[in-house]
Amino acid sequence: MARSAAAALVPWLALVALWELAAARGWMSTTLFPPPSSFIRFAIESDFRVGFGQEGMTIPVAILASAWRVVMGLMLGFVAAVATGIAVSMSRFLSAAILPIVRGLAPIAPIAWIPVGIVVFGIGNPTAIFVVFTGVYFLLTLSTVAAVQSVDSRLIKTARTFGASNRQIWAHVVFPAVLPQVFTMLRINFFAAWMAVLAAEMVGLKNGVGMIVILGREMFNPNLIMLGICIIGVTGYAVDALLLLIQRKVLWWKPE
Amino acid sequence: MSSLVVNRVTKTWQAAKGLSVEAIRDASLRVSSGEFVAILGPSGCGKSTLLELCAGLERVSGGFISIDGEEVRNPNPKAVMVFQEHALFPWLDVESNVGFGLKMRKTAVNERWRKVRDVLERVKLVKFARHYPHQLSGGMKQRVAIARALVGSPEFMLMDEPFAALDFQTRVLMQQFLLEVWAGFKSTILFVTHQIDEAVLLADRVVVMSAAPGRVLEEIAIALPRPRSMTDPEFNAYRVRLTSHMEREVMHGAEVQ
Repeated sequence: MARSAAAALVPWLALVALWELAAARGWMSTTLFPPPSSFIRFAIESDFRVGFGQEGMTIPVAILASAWRVVMGLMLGFVAAVATGIAVSMSRFLSAAILPIVRGLAPIAPIAWIPVGIVVFGIGNPTAIFVVFTGVYFLLTLSTVAAVQSVDSRLIKTARTFGASNRQIWAHVVFPAVLPQVFTMLRINFFAAWMAVLAAEMVGLKNGVGMIVILGREMFNPNLIMLGICIIGVTGYAVDALLLLIQRKVLWWKPE
Repeated sequence: MSSLVVNRVTKTWQAAKGLSVEAIRDASLRVSSGEFVAILGPSGCGKSTLLELCAGLERVSGGFISIDGEEVRNPNPKAVMVFQEHALFPWLDVESNVGFGLKMRKTAVNERWRKVRDVLERVKLVKFARHYPHQLSGGMKQRVAIARALVGSPEFMLMDEPFAALDFQTRVLMQQFLLEVWAGFKSTILFVTHQIDEAVLLADRVVVMSAAPGRVLEEIAIALPRPRSMTDPEFNAYRVRLTSHMEREVMHGAEVQ
């Protein structure tokens, strides 16, 4: 793990070196594309604070705010989707009543829910969490239903031969069997959810890492824009790495 | 003395659009306590279906199946099924897999672990108690599956081609292992296979089934002392007799199709 992380760092170091070289030799405009040496110095000199007055915030707080929103939204979405998916799979009535609606709502991009969130929840964390939640919930509900259908029938027969009741089969066989597959879908959809949080921060929430980029634009400060973009990338990468770690350590089993 | 009786059983699967497929027609057999009976037949002859009927996983369409005089309608702790390719729960370690049935039947925790430990010791799996299925070889997984069936002390073990997916060497070792288990646990085994050698090597009696719809064609008692050797001339005589049966059935099945 540590070795592969180091290996992943090499191309990044090469890119940064090239970027610095291009800036030093004047191959590209340092005003529009300030290199890392410039915007990192800028961050240190401004004491990791950006914005003024009401819009002022420190960079670590911004990162924590964004990461908290996306992690909460993913967690709630995952739990609710697995619960809905299993409930729907257990009952023909629920399946007929709920699945068509879920299918209809699943294709809506999470960004489209931002105005709805702002109207319903106002400007604040609940809106961002709502946007992430809706971004993953419908898709994960559908993938839970699909995962339930693909549970190995031998496992279910085995449970029945050992006297498991229907309820026990759902709790002890189907539920653990579908978790890894649904979690994989969660990871795949994380990036869309992450983008939705940033967009929500840019258009309405006025804080978090998305806001750093907007502040940079408003203040005509390319250092701030580049800094914001880099923080978004690194934070997204870190959350994805966390999800991968959960998958490997907690939900590691695959159907055989 | 317990016994499993299959009396003139038929099984018809209802397919879509009113079509139906006859899987088993008028099959009868009887397995008594302590016996090792093999059901031999070509692929698709309904032998796995017959086993699932005995396990109470499916209902008969006609006739009846009973264990100790009681009709089998639902899964029953007296008859436990072991499937091809082990079907272990990948998220449970060996001891939790083995204890699964006891947990489902709400056996007290202390008693459950005592029984699990006991079985693992007897089948020499204690060292692997904390391993997960993906850390075990194919043969080991099937041993765990057998231990999982044994832990509830069933009267009948219904085995559906349990060694079909294993390589030759592992299969030989597992057949040996199963004979030791059969003798050591004094269990009664109904074993489905499509391999003639396996049937003759293991069973007291071989029940030959026809191509679909499955019927019982003949029962042959294997009067060979154990341990048996596949190179023994008498072993070969049984093999020849069963091979001619199987050839006829395979050809017959091909004509029907």
